[in-house]
Amino acid sequence: MLLRRTGAVIFAAALLYPLCGLFVSVGPWRWDGGTIAGAVRVSLVLTGIAMLVVVGLGTPMALYVARASARERLWWQAVLLLSVLLPPLALGILLSLAFGPHALGAFFAPLGIRLTNTPLAFVVTQVYVSIGYYVLGAVAAIDSVPKALEIQGGLLGQDRWNVFWRVTFPIARLGLAVALSLAWVRALTEFGAVVITAYYPAGMPVALWTSLENFGLPAVMPLLVVFLVTALPLPWLAHILAQRRLTRA
Amino acid sequence: MLDAHVVKARTRFTVDVALKVASGEACGLFGISGAGKSTILACIAGSETQDAGHVRLDDVTLFPPLLPLHRRSIGYLTQDANLFPHLQVAENVRFGLTNGARETSESWIVELRDRLNLEPIWHEPVHAISGGQARRVALARMLARKPRLVLLDEPFAGLDRYLVRELLATIARWQKELGFTMLVVDHASDVLERLCPRAIAIEEGRIVQDARWPELRAHPATPLLGELLAPL
Repeated sequence: MLLRRTGAVIFAAALLYPLCGLFVSVGPWRWDGGTIAGAVRVSLVLTGIAMLVVVGLGTPMALYVARASARERLWWQAVLLLSVLLPPLALGILLSLAFGPHALGAFFAPLGIRLTNTPLAFVVTQVYVSIGYYVLGAVAAIDSVPKALEIQGGLLGQDRWNVFWRVTFPIARLGLAVALSLAWVRALTEFGAVVITAYYPAGMPVALWTSLENFGLPAVMPLLVVFLVTALPLPWLAHILAQRRLTRA
Repeated sequence: MLDAHVVKARTRFTVDVALKVASGEACGLFGISGAGKSTILACIAGSETQDAGHVRLDDVTLFPPLLPLHRRSIGYLTQDANLFPHLQVAENVRFGLTNGARETSESWIVELRDRLNLEPIWHEPVHAISGGQARRVALARMLARKPRLVLLDEPFAGLDRYLVRELLATIARWQKELGFTMLVVDHASDVLERLCPRAIAIEEGRIVQDARWPELRAHPATPLLGELLAPL
């Protein structure tokens, strides 16, 4: 036991080692409160909206894929993996072309809706980069719920929605929380795609980049700290809540 | 009345069985493991979709088209209790009751609890109860909604004789009191005989005999059936 725990401690220490960089002297830190607050607000609010979309669209899809036949499921998984495997920069370029003024953007422009460099573009990009992670994780979580329990739920008079809400979701919630955490982190930290499609409004990753470009490391360090402090709580909270309810059950 | 014609292709053979069970009647499906008995029950319950045929329960058509599970007045108990692991025993038993029915059904729930001796574990999480207790909870949960048709798929497998005897007596009594139609699958003839006066013998997905137990024992239609009914 002690040996295994020591191994886990070494693993965790190695994983967190890059954070030592925060203690390397780069000169006096440059706090730009306005930039930091703006970037944090943009990232948290728009990522929150993106996660609502991801959960709202991704959960029914995950339910469908999890209960599809093995052959059909392979096709859906290929689609999901494709969205996950695309390099972020490539995805950003493809999104800016597909949603740009020469494609879908042309239909929205007369309505006054711009699909690049707007909060909407930011959210759309975040949804695209993260939904594949959420659905793949959610499928695995829903897979862990025995189908026989859902059948019992149905025969006990519960319609599909109630069966999901009262049987599938409570049993799968830890896995769903993990999937949501992955999607949240993926969206919040996204840079490659967002920098192409939504340079404005600047979220934290883009603010990090522009601070590095304009003012160097002293301006980046405070942003890094704020980034870590704001990114961690939500996925951690999701894990804690799911774990606690699971333990209580 | 249950009027079912189940046609379902399986790897080795196609199940093709037509049966009628009168309202309030208890009927046993008897045969060796793998004869297709559970497939028939699963198709009637709706957990499997049959390839052809029909299933009607009184004036309700269950197939075709496939009626959603929640609109079927069917209780389905298998050898796996399938309790909801995130709920306590009491929550499992009350699971199928709508908010409106909860208050009116409370005396019935109390009766189920007391007659199945669930009071000591009533507020326990289901992972803390034994296999035999889990089977009793599943029975209570199934009967809580007073279904018109009860399907039992070897629900006594793996239980000790004392508990099986107790459950058989309880189910038989409730079947008479509530008047539900019942279809029971088991490969133990003594278990079936306690619950069902009538038996339908199945071999490779076909009915080989449909008779009362004395007739079945005296004149089994096939050598295999005769072997199955012979004492050890």
